[in-house]
Amino acid sequence: MLVATKKWIFIRISSLILLPLMLWFIINLVNIYDKSYQEIVVFLTANPSKFLIGLFLVFSYFFSALSISEVFEDYINDEKIKNAANKALNLFAIVIPIITIFAIFNLST
Amino acid sequence: MENRPLSPHIQIYKWHISSLVSISHRITGIINFFAITAICIWFVFMLLGETNYELIKKFLQTFFGKFILIGITWSFSFQMLSEIRHLIMDMGYGFDLKITKITGLIVILGSLILTVMIYLIGRGLH
Repeated sequence: MLVATKKWIFIRISSLILLPLMLWFIINLVNIYDKSYQEIVVFLTANPSKFLIGLFLVFSYFFSALSISEVFEDYINDEKIKNAANKALNLFAIVIPIITIFAIFNLST
Repeated sequence: MENRPLSPHIQIYKWHISSLVSISHRITGIINFFAITAICIWFVFMLLGETNYELIKKFLQTFFGKFILIGITWSFSFQMLSEIRHLIMDMGYGFDLKITKITGLIVILGSLILTVMIYLIGRGLH
């Protein structure tokens, strides 16, 4: 299978998984954004929230990295700049969710 | 490969609903990427304790903070509906010119309706 085909399949599968997670996340974000510190900690440390936020972050960064690399492919001509941009994007897409998930699991009520 | 042409830049297109939805899909995708990153930073800041959180809370309660929240809600709504449109097209449906215009309009208007619905549901949750 071609790399481009694999990439296309990964984008489509991750977008399908992301749809319900995005809906759940944005509804809860609207709900918690002006709540007190304790209320937000209670929400973030509840087991379903931890699991769903973790899943949402992993899939959203995976999906974003693949999709934004398509934008780089379309609009960046210089191969060196494109490779550097892709590497930075991939690093970012791995580090940010790991740090956030780690932080959420270390929060305590 | 090195001299292959790039995609035409957006300023040379004659705007249609399909092109508007397509470029908005990319723009909202990038907005969501930065929005989710900002939310991650917010969650990580929670580790620093209640005193630091009060600063973020004060900002989120301003008009600008609420504007950003509603903007992110719209951006998520647009991305979700546009992604559903893409998935339907990937299955081979909706390529007729008239249908693409209708589904494009559904995405644009539907994203506004969905934003209001998400906001009302979100604020109603306890």
